[in-house]
Amino acid sequence: MAYEVTMPRLGWTMEEGVFGEWLKQDGDEVKAGDLLFTVEGDKATQEVEVFESGILRLPQGAPAPGDVIPVGALLAYIAQAGESTPAAIAQAAPAGSQTGQKAPAPEDPAAEPAADPAGHKAPASQPVSADGRRAPAISPRARRIAAELGVDWTRITGSGRTGRIVERDVRAAAETVVEPLGVDISPVARRLAAEAGISLEELAAVTPGRRIQREDVEAAIAARRQTVPAQEAAAQVVPHSRIRRITAQRMAESAHTTAPVTLTTEADATELVALRQQLKASYSRRGLAVPGYNDIYLKLTACALQEHPALNASWSEEALHLHSEIHVGFAVETEQGLLAPVLRDVPAKSLRVIAAETVELIEGARRERLGHEAMQGGTFTITNLGMYGIDAFTPIINLPQIAILGIGRIICKPAVHDGQVVPRQMVALSLTFDHRAVDGAPAARFLNTIREYVSEPVLWLSA
Amino acid sequence: MRELTYVEATLEALDGAMARDPSIFVVGEGIGERGGNFNTTVGLYDKYGPERLCDTPISERGFVGMCAGAAMTGTRPVVDFMFLDFILDAFGELVNQIAKMQYMSSGRLKMPILLRGAIGIGHSAATHHSGSYYPIFAHLPGFRVVVPAIPSDAKGLFTTALQSDDPVLFLEHKSLLFNRGAVPEGDYAIPFGQARIARAGTDCTLVAIGSMVDKTLAVCEKLAEDGISAELIDPRTIAPLDMATILESVSKTGRLLIVDETFQPCGVGAEIAAQAVDKGFDDLDAPIRRLNGAHVPTPYSPPLELAIVPESDDIEQSVRDLLAE
Repeated sequence: MAYEVTMPRLGWTMEEGVFGEWLKQDGDEVKAGDLLFTVEGDKATQEVEVFESGILRLPQGAPAPGDVIPVGALLAYIAQAGESTPAAIAQAAPAGSQTGQKAPAPEDPAAEPAADPAGHKAPASQPVSADGRRAPAISPRARRIAAELGVDWTRITGSGRTGRIVERDVRAAAETVVEPLGVDISPVARRLAAEAGISLEELAAVTPGRRIQREDVEAAIAARRQTVPAQEAAAQVVPHSRIRRITAQRMAESAHTTAPVTLTTEADATELVALRQQLKASYSRRGLAVPGYNDIYLKLTACALQEHPALNASWSEEALHLHSEIHVGFAVETEQGLLAPVLRDVPAKSLRVIAAETVELIEGARRERLGHEAMQGGTFTITNLGMYGIDAFTPIINLPQIAILGIGRIICKPAVHDGQVVPRQMVALSLTFDHRAVDGAPAARFLNTIREYVSEPVLWLSA
Repeated sequence: MRELTYVEATLEALDGAMARDPSIFVVGEGIGERGGNFNTTVGLYDKYGPERLCDTPISERGFVGMCAGAAMTGTRPVVDFMFLDFILDAFGELVNQIAKMQYMSSGRLKMPILLRGAIGIGHSAATHHSGSYYPIFAHLPGFRVVVPAIPSDAKGLFTTALQSDDPVLFLEHKSLLFNRGAVPEGDYAIPFGQARIARAGTDCTLVAIGSMVDKTLAVCEKLAEDGISAELIDPRTIAPLDMATILESVSKTGRLLIVDETFQPCGVGAEIAAQAVDKGFDDLDAPIRRLNGAHVPTPYSPPLELAIVPESDDIEQSVRDLLAE
């Protein structure tokens, strides 16, 4: 039987991917290891290789660029010579699927499965006693939260003393639902909504208790056409890119859930500037990647995190996770938007290695060729706005991390040094920390350590 | 901060107010030269003399009625019942005159009377000297009912009581009277109807009253070692009752237990539970629980006395049961 190519899971939280493009044509001979197609993951476009050699067969209904495909859904076949494959994907059995869902033919509403991929149905569409079961007891709070999260509680087993469904049961059930907010939506409607940039929450709000259909999305698109131009006739409508949407979601989540406090201080970077000039002269003469200021800050921050492990942590509702390794993310501006690739095991790396690796990460980010995992697993993040003439600012924490360091411009200005007012190179440092996870004094001590390291960089870069 | 006992805290508030306001006087049995059975007026007789620290015979209805008249004429009586149980002998004056006078006079008369006494079970005081009765007074329109749990609250609430134009019942649990705690110097007033969050938490809301606050707080700390995060609220005043703080906490935790030494039927816990169900129904993740003293007259026998009051083990079990719901 022909080998089935399915939508891979490219990150822990990935439940669906936007199909990019085929890198091979129907009928092409492919070898295991060849790059077969691309997927637009959460923030990166990834090339996916094929694990089987044979002839690529794209059946009718194979995905086109931009289609939103659930993880595990069938995409194509790799057939051996003389082997036949099904002509169309709609009849194909699900393969490699973790949730057992059918791969829908996106153009055909009649092919919509009756339940959403996780097997949940809206309570309204399913009488509670249809299968002869009595509705389980549920606490008022759990019932309210089930409604908010769109969870069908009649299918939950309660963990209360008498079998009552309580809040934790609903929340656990909600986490297993494929949709981000437990929204029940048909695949066609979901794709239309994604293309039009209409949020699922927005749709769910106008269709409480029932499945969102294509008509609902079309109505929402029509409503938007009417309202937006009426308010601002000359405005340009720029649909959100995928990165913009994810950035918005993460920033909002951080802003709404953390208790951010920003501390600022100023460090004397005179020695750091001198060091960087020396590095530039010496490394470029030898054809090596010249460490930038960012590379130096990365290394110094990692040293400071070693001294203050409480800041090298992740927050979860249950516990604070102190990390044994130090992986520092750094913000990179790209044409697509903001990305934060992660430099791993920073304390173990020399400045030379760091310089070489960050060049690759930045290049990868700008060319959209960074794998999903290259942006995962950071334990701390730094962001530098110095090149735009900014001094202090209030960066937003990159969840689930608990702090982020903002670096300002280096500017020569009068400063008191050895009792004299003299021109010195000064840099503003801004630390935003999550006061839920760490208190002001330890955060201040951490920032002060960075300030000291910046003023004496050689001591710590060689440490 | 310096520490005072609960009684010293109220004494400081009373002394300061008497020094400023000559219309304040104290009436009761043994509150003059003796300084009060519970040291509530120690030293005041020497400062303010027998007219303002007026010892009375055992005649509760008489001296409470006279104080009601005095309050109507513009003075500010403090009636010290020693054991609050004997307020019952003046119940008619309290309910039919003191609580109603402002209403009956369309507000032309004020009733600035402070009624204080020691409440609660302990020290084998037996059934005539162990009552609390605050649910009865909270039931009636017209009274303010104050049940401080810690010395600093006792002082701030006593100051507010001495400024109130309404009759105030200031009820001091016997087991708290000689507890020490940090008390700010100088004058300060804590408004009625503002609960104190004694401990913040996320898993369940515990409302404890009077002597149950410290006991429950210790249980919370023990439960925290097992990863249970309980929020503890001390209402501080039963009337007015700060339901907003309780409801806000329940909206966070979904679970509510009321710990109160007084009898359960028609009690403060019943009132809090009813309001929580009424206004916070959709926040509740479990039945509301109450833990009360036994619904019996208080025994003299120390082991029996111990058995009818909620103790740490009972509180801990009740919290665990609530979380298992």
